[in-house]
Amino acid sequence: MVTIDSQKDYYAILNVSLNADDEEIKQAYREKARDYHPDSGHGDADLFREVQEAYEVLRDEVLRRAYDRQREQRGLSEESPVGLALCQSRTEAFPLDEPQMLYVLVDVLPHTSEQPEVTRQHLNVALVVDCSTSMSGARMQNVKVAAADLVESLGPQDRLALVAFSDRAEVLAPTHLMDNPRVFKSALAALTPGGGTEIFQGLLAGLEEVRRYASPETVNHVILLTDGRTYGDETRSLLEARRAVAEGISISAFGIGEDWNDEFLDDLARTAGGVSRYIRAPSDVRTALRRQIQGLSSTLLQNMHLEVNVAPYVSIQGVYRAAPYLEILGYSENHRIALGNVMVGEPVAVVLEFTIARAVTGERRIARLELVGEQIAAPEPIRLRQDVNVTFTQNPKEEPVPPKLLNCLARLSVFNLQERAWKALGMGDVHQATTYLEYAATRLFDMGQRELGQAAMLEVNRLMHGGDPTKEGRKKLRYGTRSLTSPMQ
Amino acid sequence: MTQKGSKIVCPSCGAENLPGTLFCIQCGTYLPSGGPLRTEPLPEQEEGRPARPRQEGEEGEEVWALNIEVEVLNTGRKVLLSADREILVGRLDAAHGIFPELDMTTDGGLEQGVSRRHARIYTREGTCFVEDLDSTNGTFLNEERITPYLPYAFRDGDLLMFGTMRLKVHIYPNR
Repeated sequence: MVTIDSQKDYYAILNVSLNADDEEIKQAYREKARDYHPDSGHGDADLFREVQEAYEVLRDEVLRRAYDRQREQRGLSEESPVGLALCQSRTEAFPLDEPQMLYVLVDVLPHTSEQPEVTRQHLNVALVVDCSTSMSGARMQNVKVAAADLVESLGPQDRLALVAFSDRAEVLAPTHLMDNPRVFKSALAALTPGGGTEIFQGLLAGLEEVRRYASPETVNHVILLTDGRTYGDETRSLLEARRAVAEGISISAFGIGEDWNDEFLDDLARTAGGVSRYIRAPSDVRTALRRQIQGLSSTLLQNMHLEVNVAPYVSIQGVYRAAPYLEILGYSENHRIALGNVMVGEPVAVVLEFTIARAVTGERRIARLELVGEQIAAPEPIRLRQDVNVTFTQNPKEEPVPPKLLNCLARLSVFNLQERAWKALGMGDVHQATTYLEYAATRLFDMGQRELGQAAMLEVNRLMHGGDPTKEGRKKLRYGTRSLTSPMQ
Repeated sequence: MTQKGSKIVCPSCGAENLPGTLFCIQCGTYLPSGGPLRTEPLPEQEEGRPARPRQEGEEGEEVWALNIEVEVLNTGRKVLLSADREILVGRLDAAHGIFPELDMTTDGGLEQGVSRRHARIYTREGTCFVEDLDSTNGTFLNEERITPYLPYAFRDGDLLMFGTMRLKVHIYPNR
């Protein structure tokens, strides 16, 4: 019997086009089979089997149609801007009466190779700048330079607004087309520090500006730049973010220095489908902004969601973002996970942790995953579907955990340890926090992340001597561990 | 291979994890594919083990039992490892429950970039394998860096490198 493996690209294996006819396929098969046959001098049994499998499926009209359909759902078809690839910790396991774990890495891969000249999206962006007293000096200087520089990378069709806020907000440059960037540039001169930090005011004014020209044909986005802590308006800000995302507006948050509320800004960006970034030195503002604008203009999908339908005996243990950076993701009751935007050259990846309560022998569908995302200027959202299957048998094969998944999980476990430490600290449990930080330090040293490991140990020492952790150490660890790069490269 | 139906006890912190768990929920330690088979034993259990193999002996059930002798090239220290169980290579760290069978501390392991949990060595059906445990400075088999968490077979006379620590391998049957 021939089984279809939708993870494989049969067309690529035979090196034929998607609409190759039977004769072409037969011809291609004969050539490849001759090349790879184990009896030929340079044979390869595995490749030979793959070629055979590909031919078995593509020669058969019914099987080929079924395979094409599966390909389309995975996003391998040419129309879809992204593809979906799964990687499981196991594909076979014992049928246990007690709960067991299963990890799945879901990769959303932008199809960049097929269309290198991706059409540049038109932007409708509001830059919301914190003008509290603490921004004076190098910070404000760098923001001004960065914003002026930003204008250079925008096209005449892009729209930009400038909003300043402290205790109140002021629109310095209303949303206008960048065919005349002088309005924006001269408005930058009016950025003068003074007062406190009330993020809600700034956010609201920024969103208002974006709303004026918001359309499904543009990328509608607010960039918030702050260096301080907002008090009492976090909940209102998050509510506003939720409203914005429903209207198709996303928000990114950039924190400068060490005094801002990391948890709140992360939460805000996650809620509104954007990114949060830690800008340590004021001189890094420029690179961060530039990168953000480049990313936005290459947006492939907006308001992306992963819907997870699990079998009755399966529950979701945890959901994490693994790329572009690590993050604990929330999910609604109906297992809908908001993923925000996906951009060219920046794959999005999610790690799902499942608990299988009770497994019965046989091949079982553990979960069905559906990725839904809005393409800019397209009437219908795209939908890609993939199943997570596990075969439960008394005799499961020995299979190595895919290194890619293992690597993600290793980084995630360190990230989780330090997150738990801050949480414990927030609840006043210094002892528990110290223990978690020590664990995190050990893992970091094991991974070769000496600098981060030392930062963790430094905080451990402070805590053990009755001190408070440093703000800098906390930021360094949170943002350092979440963007740990793969040690395998 | 997963030991059927058993909770995995973390060798480092003792927390219980569900079968199939890869990283300890408590302390983040890598729990190699989830069974007692791959859990590092504590050194107390080594008590009574003969230091050298008996010269004359009967052919036991363990047809595949092998002895691996490694020679640390910079110090000339030779260590005989009985490979009927897994061998952890690393540096002793009692505070974190890391007790490697092959401890490189006295050979200048720290200076030469050996991680505390650097690699593991084991035999399966007469073949010796080395697997890097995602060490900081990597494990090299005959000068080639191996991919973490993947087993690589090695033979008598091969050169292993943990970080920059070079070891020569001799393998002979345990008779």
